[in-house]
Amino acid sequence: MAYQLYRNTTLGNSLQESLDELIQTQQITPQLALQVLLQFDKAINTALANRVRNRVNFRGSLNTYRFCDNVWTFVLNDVEFREVTELVKVDKVKIVACDGKSRNYK
Amino acid sequence: MASSANSNPVPKLYKSVIEDVINEVRELFLDEGVDEQVLLELKTLWENKLLQSKAVEGFHTEEQAALQAAQQQQQQQQQQQQQQVQQVQQVQQVTQQAQTQQVILPPQQQQAPQQQVIVQDSKILQHMSATGMSAAATAATLALPTGVTPYQQLITSQGQILQVVRAPNGAQYIIQQPQQQILLQQQMQPGGVQAPVIQQVCSIRQVLAPLQGGLPQQTGVIIQPQQIVLASGNKVQGNTQVMQAAAMAAQAGQAATAQVQQVQQAQGAAAPQAQPQQQAQPQGQPQTQAQQPPMMLQVDGTGDTSSEEDEDEEEEYDEDDDEEKDKDGGEDGQVEEEPLNSGDDVSDEEDQELFDTENVVVCQYDKIHRSKNKWKFHLKDGIMNLNGRDYVFSKAIGDAEW
Repeated sequence: MAYQLYRNTTLGNSLQESLDELIQTQQITPQLALQVLLQFDKAINTALANRVRNRVNFRGSLNTYRFCDNVWTFVLNDVEFREVTELVKVDKVKIVACDGKSRNYK
Repeated sequence: MASSANSNPVPKLYKSVIEDVINEVRELFLDEGVDEQVLLELKTLWENKLLQSKAVEGFHTEEQAALQAAQQQQQQQQQQQQQQVQQVQQVQQVTQQAQTQQVILPPQQQQAPQQQVIVQDSKILQHMSATGMSAAATAATLALPTGVTPYQQLITSQGQILQVVRAPNGAQYIIQQPQQQILLQQQMQPGGVQAPVIQQVCSIRQVLAPLQGGLPQQTGVIIQPQQIVLASGNKVQGNTQVMQAAAMAAQAGQAATAQVQQVQQAQGAAAPQAQPQQQAQPQGQPQTQAQQPPMMLQVDGTGDTSSEEDEDEEEEYDEDDDEEKDKDGGEDGQVEEEPLNSGDDVSDEEDQELFDTENVVVCQYDKIHRSKNKWKFHLKDGIMNLNGRDYVFSKAIGDAEW
């Protein structure tokens, strides 16, 4: 199974909401919705690994860090995200990172 | 679209992911026996939500145009029915006067209470049409999929209806959100003939709760003053009562703005108003109202006679709670209204303030390094939502000091 990490993104949440609506109206079963989400996990993992080719730098101050179940969670303050094209500044950002080294058993 | 040399990769990426997912699950859908239509609806819902989130720029502009064109075509089809829509509006305003059955649910389905179908029969689809609000507005606001437009859809035998329904006998009704229906139904039903209806209607609220959350404004638009009556349909008595209640509800609803709360008020208003008029059901109403604990009974509202006791009780409870809080605060020697030991809390308020746009990055880590209080992050394959917008990266390197 691919990481379910990306379900809490705009793309993932909109998919989940749409599936929920269909479940409520009984057009699909929850089981089918789960299958769709699993498929989404695979697709987004593959897409990010293969179709994205850009790099970002960032700098800020670390507010909190947590490492649990091989998942890092950071909260940074006053961060600047710098890409070649643009610069984005935020007061606070939460970073959730799963282990990228171990090829999760797909 | 992208004027800069480096076009935003996000829309394309999302688009490709959506396409991949939809294509992959098509087989799953077919295995489950789910219609292709539903798959398309999923895709449309998904894309529309992405559009609404405004997190992605220039997302599917071409497809937007195609969707709009399709919607326009549907609008043209619905123009034919708009005449009937106008008639329905008039009917709704004059529901007091005995008119033909305003049955929302076709009697056929009532016999099979478990039928909860949205897009089952093509017949139903044909019968369905947008009423009240123009079909175009409905489609637009609800971002309905092309294939299943304001011929809505959520019609169950029990009236788990979300939007607009048109009974096969020609009468058109707009189905409202749950609460109103429930009250009306209960008022209608003289006996326990349609007890299952009530029960299922109760579940509408649960059904609609997430939907309402997802489409807060839209549901408001839909509801408007047009109100639906779920009638047994089989009994003439029920129908007349339904009509009366619908009239009451319609009037009350028209006075209110189009939102759920006002719908509740309409319920409250409709309830007492319907009581005197409906002779056959003096008993059922207060009982049924009292028996609706899960239904978020609307207590306030105009002239809600049956809820006076409830109001008094609630006021008493509130007063008791306040008194208790004050006592506890005084005994501890702290400020009365502050939560206990609030000074010891690490400030979490900052987190809550920024809750609107919680800037989040979901990714994978290659290497996390720390030296004293200097942290270095090597991340990859990430999706970021910063200041409401989405970004992606294949690699990210960062520095931070703790």
